[in-house]
Amino acid sequence: MKGNPQIETFQYDNEIVRKFAMACTVFGVVGMLVGLLLALQLVFPVLNFSLPYTSFGRLRPLHTNAVIFAFVGNGIFMGVYYSLQRLLKAPMYSKALSNFHFWGWQAIIVAAAITLPLGITSSHEYAELEWPIDIAIAVVWLAFGINMIGTILKRRETHLYVAIWFYLATFITVTVLHIFNNLVIPVSLFKSYPVFAGVQDALVQWWYGHNAVAFFLTTPYLGLMYYYLPKAANRPIYSYRLSIIHFWALIFIYIWAGPHHLLYTSLPDWAQSLGMVFSLMLIAPSWGGMLNGLLTLRGAWDKVRSDPVLKFLVVAVTAYGMSTFEGPMMSIKSLNAITHYTDWTIAHVHVAALGWNGMMTFGVLYWLIPTLYDTKLYSVKLANIHFWIGTLAILFYAIPLYVAGVTQQLMWKQFTNDGFLQYTNFLETVTQIIPMYALRSFGGLMFFAGLFVMIYNLYKTAQSGNFKPTETASAPKRITYVKHKGEHWHRWIERRSLTLSTFTLIAVLIGGMVEIFPMLLVDENVPKIATVKPYTPLELEGRDIYIREGCVGCHSQMIRPFRSETERYGEFSKSGEFIYDRPFLWGSKRTGPDLHRIGKKYTDSWHYNHMLDPQAMSPGSIMPPYPWLLEDDLDLSLVNGKIKALQLLKTPYPDDYPENAIADLKRQAKQISENLAKEGVKQDRLEDKEIVALIAYLQRLGTDIKNPLVEVK
Amino acid sequence: MYKYILESIENINWLAIIPLVIFFIFFVAMTYNVYKYEKGFINKMGGLPLEDDGDIEFKI
Repeated sequence: MKGNPQIETFQYDNEIVRKFAMACTVFGVVGMLVGLLLALQLVFPVLNFSLPYTSFGRLRPLHTNAVIFAFVGNGIFMGVYYSLQRLLKAPMYSKALSNFHFWGWQAIIVAAAITLPLGITSSHEYAELEWPIDIAIAVVWLAFGINMIGTILKRRETHLYVAIWFYLATFITVTVLHIFNNLVIPVSLFKSYPVFAGVQDALVQWWYGHNAVAFFLTTPYLGLMYYYLPKAANRPIYSYRLSIIHFWALIFIYIWAGPHHLLYTSLPDWAQSLGMVFSLMLIAPSWGGMLNGLLTLRGAWDKVRSDPVLKFLVVAVTAYGMSTFEGPMMSIKSLNAITHYTDWTIAHVHVAALGWNGMMTFGVLYWLIPTLYDTKLYSVKLANIHFWIGTLAILFYAIPLYVAGVTQQLMWKQFTNDGFLQYTNFLETVTQIIPMYALRSFGGLMFFAGLFVMIYNLYKTAQSGNFKPTETASAPKRITYVKHKGEHWHRWIERRSLTLSTFTLIAVLIGGMVEIFPMLLVDENVPKIATVKPYTPLELEGRDIYIREGCVGCHSQMIRPFRSETERYGEFSKSGEFIYDRPFLWGSKRTGPDLHRIGKKYTDSWHYNHMLDPQAMSPGSIMPPYPWLLEDDLDLSLVNGKIKALQLLKTPYPDDYPENAIADLKRQAKQISENLAKEGVKQDRLEDKEIVALIAYLQRLGTDIKNPLVEVK
Repeated sequence: MYKYILESIENINWLAIIPLVIFFIFFVAMTYNVYKYEKGFINKMGGLPLEDDGDIEFKI
């Protein structure tokens, strides 16, 4: 470097950091409260209140979205807006964009909180929001990206610290994922069908779903770890070299791991194996990162005893290590066979969500609020109490669910000496683990209570301090860097943020393309079955009710090729059976039994009575009742539009079908209502009610392959 | 057993092998390069989070 740089004075924006910190805390309360209600609903089904808006199926996506995008999302932005400005020695590129980002993101959260309880959902996990909100997300996310890249371009620090690489990778990858997983054909403002169907939809969804975990819950938080851990410990990261390897290996490998959510399903074997191998490889970079974090504290562990911030960060990094070991283990096919669909998965995600994201957020908040208010933490003692409540809460939450998961799976697979299933009634395996659900609720309650200890402590801290919306700093102007002889090539990348971004994009796209393109382009991957036909209009409406009520949250539609499953549910599921399923509804948790072969298993009246009062038909069931399905008329306004949208996606309905669809629908509804009447169900205008459509769909499920092939001339 | 392994070789999907090889080469090359970094630069980068508060002392 040559010349005498000119010193510039500028101001960091602390106001935006405080705003995101507040939003993070408020939505933490909301998200965890909904989670607590859901946990209690599994113990006391009466807490579903027999209302559509408070039933488990509709509230579950509200909980996951609130925690992921509102609590953790605002936590990310809080951490990024503070650290980015300081690591680049520059204020944010545009204050207007910062504010647009903040208010836009909160508006999206409010939109989610309204639409999800109303049953407006695409049913793709962690991407449930319908298309207008998806577009809003894209716009606000882009504002964040432009603001971040703009700040990087006008920075005063020549090189980009590794935390910023993680932030950039987050922005780039989430953009790609969000676009691909939300490609839909809109039917109305609140209804759309995905362009991919069945197996392909499943692959794209879990490529997204897994990478939402990777690039929304992990990479940005790793960026926070690389900034706030050295900050709190007042010493540099253990190995900067290791952090570079951590970054590239992690983003390269993570993107491949999605298919581990679909092991033993109808996804072709090669894609399953690929997902498993890369998931296993993920241990290496994940643990590299964890060790890098923990080793930063070498020689400073005495500080961990006295500093609550470090305590939270250490538990967070440890939880990261535990869940990134457990995840790859659960991706091994033989282990996945016993963990999938059970509460083991719920325990796994909560070790990560409560431990890694929760404790990290709390640690950062305990550091940030006193810093922003230029004061000391009000009470170290209260922070320590929060730490212990939180840490114990994670154990109280996770351990019962591990026990529940293992117990239930063993019961599902238990055969008698004569070779029959020992627990033929699925419900037996549920009632067995309800005490574990009760203990888990207690763990959730503890974690929730801890949150209020923190809020009180931080409120008092803020009261004792003096918040300055801006902070003055000065640094020399950045000199255009001239490459010197013998310079390391990677330094060239680090100076050029756009080059770094491009390489990141390439690294993540390789995995996406190799896995997804063959599935979309090679027909052989989804063998067709001649007897599988598109849904009738009534069944389609029934299916959309199934989606609206969030049935997929508790019921899978994917029978794996195990004897314990084929004995219980019937023939295993084949990829060709799902080619008209938009979206796919395979599910990922069996709180209730699999429904893929439910068709014709029970009478129409059984379904009618079961939806009205599940406990009357299955004593001890924890399924909520759905009385409104019997009262509400089926909305026919979108039937034509739905058929047209599906025709656009090459569903083989006859050309003139949109005009005849309603007549067809009414004919089938009448038939089912007559059937119900014959079976003793008495209700006026039954054929107009939503329940008839749902029964039509349920009775159709999984029956196509049993039909004889009729040659059409 | 070895017969079974040999028999299944033709079923190994090359699509799965190629990315593994790409990653292996990428990983080894990256690690080698990272360890060739100059010590001073690594120390400077590692220290970045600690030098960002308010008025900063500079070493030019």
